Order: sequence, then structure tokens, then C-alpha cells
Amino acid sequence: MDNMLEMYLYETNTLMEQLDELLIEAEKNGVFSTNDVNEIFRIMHTIKGSSAMMEFSTLMEIAHHIEDLFFYIRENGMDSLDESHKNDLFNLMFQSTDALRGEVEKIENDEPLSTNIDQIIANINSFLEKISSPKGGDSVDSTKETDASEEFKPADADAIAVINQELAGCPDSDMPYFIKIHFEQGSGMENLRAFMTITALREIDLSFEFYPEDVETNSDTAESIIDNGFFLALSSHEDVDKALPIIKEQNSIETYEVIENAAVKQAVATSAPPAVSEASVEKKEVPAASGEAPAASTPSPAAQKTPQASAPHNNAPVKQSLISVNLSKLDSLVAIVGEIVITESMVTSSPDLQNLKLDNFMKSARQLRKLTDDLQDIAMSLRMVPVSGTFQKMNRIVRDMKKKLNKDVRLTIIGENTEVDKTIVDSIGDPIMHIVRNSMDHGVESNVEDRIAAGKDPQAEIILSATHTGSEVIITIEDDGQGMDTDKILAKAERNGILTKPASEYSKKEILSLLMLPGFSTNEEVTEFSGRGVGMDVVKKNVEAVGGTISITSEVGKGSCTTLKIPLTMAITDGMEISVGKSMFTIPIANIRQSLKTKKEDIILDASGNEIVKCLDEFYPVIRLHQLYNIETEITNIEDGILIWVETADKSYCLFVDELLGEQQVVVKPLPAFVNNFNIQKLGMAGCTLLGDGSISIILDISKLYTAASLNY
Amino acid sequence: MSADTINTLEETQVMEGNAPVSTERFLTFSCDGLNIGVSTNYVIEIITDHAITMLPLVPDYVKGIISLRGQIIPIIDIRLRIGKTPIDYTSTTCVIVLDINSLPIGIIVDAVQQVMDIDQTKISPVPVENQQELISGMVSTANRSVILFLDCEQLVQTY
Repeated sequence: MDNMLEMYLYETNTLMEQLDELLIEAEKNGVFSTNDVNEIFRIMHTIKGSSAMMEFSTLMEIAHHIEDLFFYIRENGMDSLDESHKNDLFNLMFQSTDALRGEVEKIENDEPLSTNIDQIIANINSFLEKISSPKGGDSVDSTKETDASEEFKPADADAIAVINQELAGCPDSDMPYFIKIHFEQGSGMENLRAFMTITALREIDLSFEFYPEDVETNSDTAESIIDNGFFLALSSHEDVDKALPIIKEQNSIETYEVIENAAVKQAVATSAPPAVSEASVEKKEVPAASGEAPAASTPSPAAQKTPQASAPHNNAPVKQSLISVNLSKLDSLVAIVGEIVITESMVTSSPDLQNLKLDNFMKSARQLRKLTDDLQDIAMSLRMVPVSGTFQKMNRIVRDMKKKLNKDVRLTIIGENTEVDKTIVDSIGDPIMHIVRNSMDHGVESNVEDRIAAGKDPQAEIILSATHTGSEVIITIEDDGQGMDTDKILAKAERNGILTKPASEYSKKEILSLLMLPGFSTNEEVTEFSGRGVGMDVVKKNVEAVGGTISITSEVGKGSCTTLKIPLTMAITDGMEISVGKSMFTIPIANIRQSLKTKKEDIILDASGNEIVKCLDEFYPVIRLHQLYNIETEITNIEDGILIWVETADKSYCLFVDELLGEQQVVVKPLPAFVNNFNIQKLGMAGCTLLGDGSISIILDISKLYTAASLNY
Repeated sequence: MSADTINTLEETQVMEGNAPVSTERFLTFSCDGLNIGVSTNYVIEIITDHAITMLPLVPDYVKGIISLRGQIIPIIDIRLRIGKTPIDYTSTTCVIVLDINSLPIGIIVDAVQQVMDIDQTKISPVPVENQQELISGMVSTANRSVILFLDCEQLVQTY
């Protein structure tokens, strides 16, 4: 059951995301294309179906009403709506999707679903009424609609019953083939089993009809399925062939039989055209006969039949072939692939092979290397996902705030296909959202006149861009608003008492970084969107948590730009390999300022005998790694080894090591918990990494190393 | 030290006649002349010839870490851990990789001997005057040798 719920949530959330993207895109164009309408229809139908199966009735109801609405739009075309209606439609859709999402969140948090959804349903109904009333003919008024449809439903059920009897179990349809399915006796919930069969068949894009038609929502149909069987109607023999294997896979199916529809067969035999025209007649009939049905509170057969008849063709290209995989499985795959790469190089460069002339072996070995390299690339790329999902969400935020704050802003997205590790994508969503909100709220001028007076485009622009630079992704959020006044920031910081030195000594860069201190908010008033004083400091913390950095630049009158530098993956970092004795260590490149050879004369001893070296007119302490870590090495003379000038946020010093081995991208692995018991993290060993030849190198934490060293001396 | 030098530290009475009720499989290895057994439930595999990366500033019995199929595993030397003198590693020296409550750890032993079924009811506690660190019990076998049992939980305990 949990598994089903997980699947349901995953599926629904994916659909909601699709829907959101689609809505934003459509609103930009000001119109729903036929494809959009069909897609929304399909999404709502799926949500409705799966929600009904999971018994989330509120979700089902909302989805159902939206489905009805789009049924109408699809039948009448988007052109039938005038401008104001279109606007209302977009707002209504955003409201409804929010309502749906709210409910889904409740399910995720295991909270009870809201029972009062009348408001949203009333909104949808009244809108449907509004758009349909000027057309006059289609339907009359919503109360009547519901009345009519309520009558319509039982009548329809009766009709089916009659038909079932009349045709000795075979329902009335133009489809030439039937598959009659009987479920195992006593298997229970036959209607849901039937529905699951339907869902499975839909996945292979089959066009079919089924009877009873309301299996999905009406549990009474279970009995008719037990008595008469469940019917699938298919249009061709090929479809029957396709459907049978799927049906065989379904659980609890006792028997199935393929029946040819005698009536249709006859018709086809007489002449081909009638069959075709009949089909088209049937299609036209559907909206006419059930013109009032769309607003019905129970899905009407028409609403269900039509999407299946026409949907497969439209849906085919939209269907994505994605599967969701547990992240830990991926991780073990990546680990094994890494191992294969190492083993491969161990085999091909085995000492046993030396001095042997093995042409064929070398050829195959080269091929193997190429393949394993490809394999590694693919394995690494599996965890990478484009940032577009996160970026698209900003569209929605800009849209909502634009309406609320009455500012005209367009969001330009650049480089949304940039790929970043999944865990990082997940954790940068909130920071980006916060910065975008800040730009909307504080950055963009409240008055259009101010912008025009400043000679700017009346429509403000926020640019959200992502670019790759080797090992980092740079995300910038830029606005062309009023910019930040450094004097004001400084004054406010002074008032809040967060300055640590005289105000006059602050540089512009330092002032802007004050924004990211806890308890700083430039907005005097707290608004709905920003200004609670917990802002940029949280953003900074979140960005730093994934190993990124954040910086702000701003110019008064021209706008501000926030830059996030995020590592591609948390697990991979750029490192400099160094050796001390027989041990190898990795220093993160970000910490290295320079490496230098030095002469004995340049080393100065301080009062307590510690070595100090002068770099660029400043003095820095020297830490000998072999001394600190007690490693035996032949290189103890300062002239033989090499100094690496390293730097962290507040410390700068030189590390004396034997040799530089070269720069490398390394996969960070934590040290085993067992050895962490010995407090080695405090001694500056942050993790370890596997080198290409299978050996292990220890990653140093430059900041902790310094602390450890200063305790020692 | 070879595997054949078996030093029976303690004489225990061999229980007679009882059919094994609850047997458990143990992997036995030798270490400084002692026969030590470890439940096969803990054993993942036995590896030889693995390059151990030394870690600075850890107790001497922690030999370092190895990478086993991408997994980083700490290695300790049982000889040093129970306070014996170190010896040079020979061709029979090997690493037994254990998984103790999903915490992998490798132990260096002089030699691996065999896997045997041992009736758990026959395992007796170590006499107080002969208490030794890391040993949770002992049993004597048919050929009059004594097997000590490694206390795996204690092995990974922190101080």
C-alpha cells in the first residue's frame, strides 16, 4: 500500500509540474493550443483516476471539474473565449492547481484532506457557466446542468444493463472486437481491477472502449463485472493482439475471451465507407448527446469515451519514458563502475604483461578502456539533472508577485538545461526563490514612472541564468531595478549594531556582504514576500551547505546581481594531490593560493622557534605536514620540498610538503566511522578519495589543520 | 607464526554425548598462536595483498584504510589490538572483512584456518583470571585444541 501511495505521489507530482510549466507557457502566449488543452485534459484525467483509486476524493473532485471545463474548451475551441475569459481561465487554473498541490502536500504529510472544496468547485463551475452561456445552444444554466446529468447517469447505467442483456453480455459499440474478462471469483474490488487493466492498456497507447464505463468511480459496477464480465472494445485485430499480452499480465484474471462484434462486421463487409461515417457520426454525437454532461459530478461516459478516442494520437509524443530509481542503487552503480575502471587499468598495466609483445591484447585493451570510460561517463551523468525544473518554478513566483505587487516584470531564463547533481538541484531551489522574491520586492521599482524617468524599459527584467564552468555551475539572478544604496545598508547595519569596525572603513563589497548577515533586512516593512529579517543569511547558509559561494553586486539605479557558485556535485571536488613520505593527501584547489619553492634564508624563526615565511610582503606561518602528522620522510630540508600557500576564510598559512603530484578531480568519500572515533577530523582529515590507480588519498581540511597545528606548537 | 602452533591456554571440559542443538558457523584464524573464531554471520570476505593506506595520528593497531570495491574500510591488526608484539606480514597473513552491525571493518590475522560448526551451548565463558580483551568465550574441540571467540561488538566500540 505504501508503495502504491509512493507511486501515486510521484506520478501526481510529476503531472502537476508538467501542468505548471504548461500553464506558464500558455499564459505567455495568451492561449491554450489544442495540444495544451488535450494535455491538461489527459493530466486531469489521470489525476482523477488515480486519486479515485487511492480514495482521495477531494483531489478527484477538483480534477474532475477541471477535466469537465477542458472538455468544454476542447469541444468549442479556445477561440470561443474572449480575452477577459482567457485571463480568468488562467487565474482559475493557477488557483485550482494550487488547490490540488495543497491537497497532495497534505497527503505527503499524512494530514487529513480538506473537506471543503466547494469554493474552488463553485469557481470552476461558475466559470464554465460563464463561458458557455453566451454560446446559448450548448447548455443552459449550471443548476439545470447538474440536474440533467444526475438524471442522465442512472439512465445511462440502466441503458448499459439493458444493452448487456440484449447482446447476451456484449455491450453496444461500433468496435469490431470485444475482449470479455472474468476476474477470479471472490477476488474482490472487480471494478478497480478492471480499472487497473484499463490503465495498463492505456500505457501502450491503445485506443479502446470499455464497459461498464464508470468502473473507476462506481463501485456498484463490481457486481455487474462479476455477473457479465468486463468488456474491452477494440477497433482492430492488431489492437487485440497488442492488448492480450497486457491482459495476461494482470493479476486475478480468470478467463478472457475475444468476441467479434457481429453487427459491425456485417457493416464493414457491406461497404467500407459506412463504417467510417458511422464512427464519425458517433464521435459527433457524443458532445451533442451529452452536451450537459461535462459539468456532471460523476464522470459521464462521454467524458471518458472521447479522450480515449482522440487522445492517443496527441499524447504519443508527450509521453516520457522515465523511470524513477532509488538513489542508493545509483550510488552503488557509480561505485562499482569506478571499481571497474580501476580494475581495468590494473589488468592492462599488470607487471606480468611487461616486455611481452601482445598486439591483439593491446588492441582489445584499448577498446575496453574506451568502453569503460564511456560507462563511467554515463554512470556519472545519471545523477545529473537539468536545473530547468527549479527555474521553471520561478516563473510561477514572478507571475504571482507581479499580480500582487502590480509590477510589470518579465523573467528571462538562460541555460536552463545546465545539469547539476540531483541533491544540489534540490537544495538550491529555496535560495534561488528567495533571491528572486527579493529582486521582485525590493529590486524592481514600485512605480513605472521611476523606471521611465531613469530611461529604462518600463517592463523590468529579471534574468535567471545558469552556466557551466568545468567543475562549477554559476547561477546568477540579475535585475535591472533600482539597485542597492550602500549608504542606506550601512546606516541600517549600524542601527542594528552588526558592524564590527568603524563604518567608514567598509568597502562596497563588504557593505553588500552585510546583507547576508543574520538579522538584516533592508525593507522597513514586513511584506508577504520578504522582509522578515530571516533572508539572505539563510540563503547563504543553504548555499554554503552544498559547498557553494554567494556574492552580490549592485549599482544604484542600475540593478543588482546575485551570483551563486555551486559545485557540480557535492561528491566531486577539484583537488591538488601532494605527497608526504609514502602518504598522499589532497588539498582542495579552492584553498590554494600559490605553491612556492623557498630558500633557507627566507625562513624566519619567531620567538618560540616556529618557522615563518614571507610571501608578497606578508608573513605567514609554515606548517610542516610531516611533523604534524608524524610521517617519516626523507624530505625535511625546506629547500627540497615545496611550500603550498593555503587560505581559508580567516586563516592563511604555508604548508610544507614533499612534492606536488598534480591536480585532479576527486570523488569525496567520508572516512569510516570507526577511524573517525580517533578524532582525526579535528586533526584536519576531512575525508578520502580513490585515485585512478586504486590508492587512497586523504583530503585535508585546511582550516582544521591549522587549528590542530596551533594546538601542537 | 604458522597456523599449526596451537597453544592451548586453558583446559576446559569437553561436554559429552549431547547432539548439537543450536550450532553456529565460525571462521577460525590464528593470531600469535591463539585460535580465534568469529561467527560467519559477521564475515563478508577474506582478502589478501591489499594495499593499506596508512592514517596519521591513530593508535598503532589501526593500520589504515583500504578501498574494497569503492567502499572505504578501516583495517586493524588483531595482534596489536590485543596487545601482542607485531610481526612482519607473511604470505599467510590476510585480512578478514567483517560487517559488524553494518559497520565494515577489516582485521589482519596471521592465517585463516577453517570454518566449523560449533554448538553454542558448549561455549563457556573465559575464567576470570584469564580474562582477555576482545574475547567473549571459549570452546575446546575434538582434537583438544581451544578456540577463543572474538567479541565483535567490543571490537568496534569507541572509547
